[in-house]
Amino acid sequence: MKPLAPTLRDNHRYVAFRLNFEDPVTARDLKAEIAGTAKSLFGDVGVSKLNVRVVAFDGTKGLVRCDFRHVPEVQAVLASIGKIKDNRVCVTTIGTSGTIKAAIEKYLQIEEKIRRIISSYVTVPVSGKAVRICGKEIDIIPEDTETIDRADVQFIGITIDDNERLI
Amino acid sequence: MHIYVDIGVHAFPEGADTPKRLNLTAYGLGFSQIVVTAHSPYWAQFPDSSLPLGVEIVAATVRDLRKQIAYFRDISTVVSVHGGDERINRAACKDDRVDVLMHPERGKHSGINQVTAKLAEKNEVALGFSLDYFWKTEELERSRFLAFQRRNVSLCQKFGVQVIVTSGAYSHLDLRSPRQLKALARLLLLTDGEADIALSKVPLNIIKRRAQKKEARL
Repeated sequence: MKPLAPTLRDNHRYVAFRLNFEDPVTARDLKAEIAGTAKSLFGDVGVSKLNVRVVAFDGTKGLVRCDFRHVPEVQAVLASIGKIKDNRVCVTTIGTSGTIKAAIEKYLQIEEKIRRIISSYVTVPVSGKAVRICGKEIDIIPEDTETIDRADVQFIGITIDDNERLI
Repeated sequence: MHIYVDIGVHAFPEGADTPKRLNLTAYGLGFSQIVVTAHSPYWAQFPDSSLPLGVEIVAATVRDLRKQIAYFRDISTVVSVHGGDERINRAACKDDRVDVLMHPERGKHSGINQVTAKLAEKNEVALGFSLDYFWKTEELERSRFLAFQRRNVSLCQKFGVQVIVTSGAYSHLDLRSPRQLKALARLLLLTDGEADIALSKVPLNIIKRRAQKKEARL
């Protein structure tokens, strides 16, 4: 079949995003969740207009392709993702671009902070076991699980300023 | 450039993250400031008095609500009321000591009618739209809240009631960037301009007005 003329092809936008998670997520699960959330928010007809598709995902950052008229809807879809397979996540959009090359150059070349696994008992501001450190952020598994149950998360989040002994 | 503020964030010990962690994440997302608000039953558990702390009053009766407003109005940065019950919604809108009525739609109905909207406009009580249900609830419940909030937004637009948009976060995973909150606000039929005002001008005015009121009373 003869390919479509360039002027007749669909115009796309590429939305770069960052994924914050408690446990790592696979690209396959993320794609399924984006499709499910888009369908739940906009229905089959809406999803067909969005033309949303995950182009790349490396575990923490990725690119979503969509129709150029429906970027805010795709941002709403990404914002509506709170869990992937019972694992709490947060998808933050970094920016939008017209080509994959520009999106990678502008938004995806920022180096991610390395997440280190640690094991240290803390008492301030909450008593529990510190398990992860990423930049200034520390995740703690508390002894008292009431707070994490209420917030529906696995860890209590503190910073180095909250507990200077962990530097 | 707008200064974005989120005034409906819940921190440790009520939520899962300390205020500093929430601040760090919110700053990275593009917020200039967040105001940690504690539900009134957890207020006593916040020992750090240097923190600008707002309150979200949870009251079972109108009498209890008035009592709590009188107690909190001088000591908190923002006085908001946990909505849902229609009597509480109406009493909150009637009281000019209240800054924000949060999520009035979290009951059986949308929680606001034309009478309540007019009262809110008269007493400068802003309506708080907490968007956490987008990522915390499933299809049916989400569509129900969305329908209620859309109805409330149209009432606010008609009667000139101030609106604020918040993430209602209990942890850093619940925080969303201003751009994402604006994208979600579009689904409530708020325009981009209105969403910008709801995320920047209105919360800043509320904080400023509350500080002036506190100063005037002291």
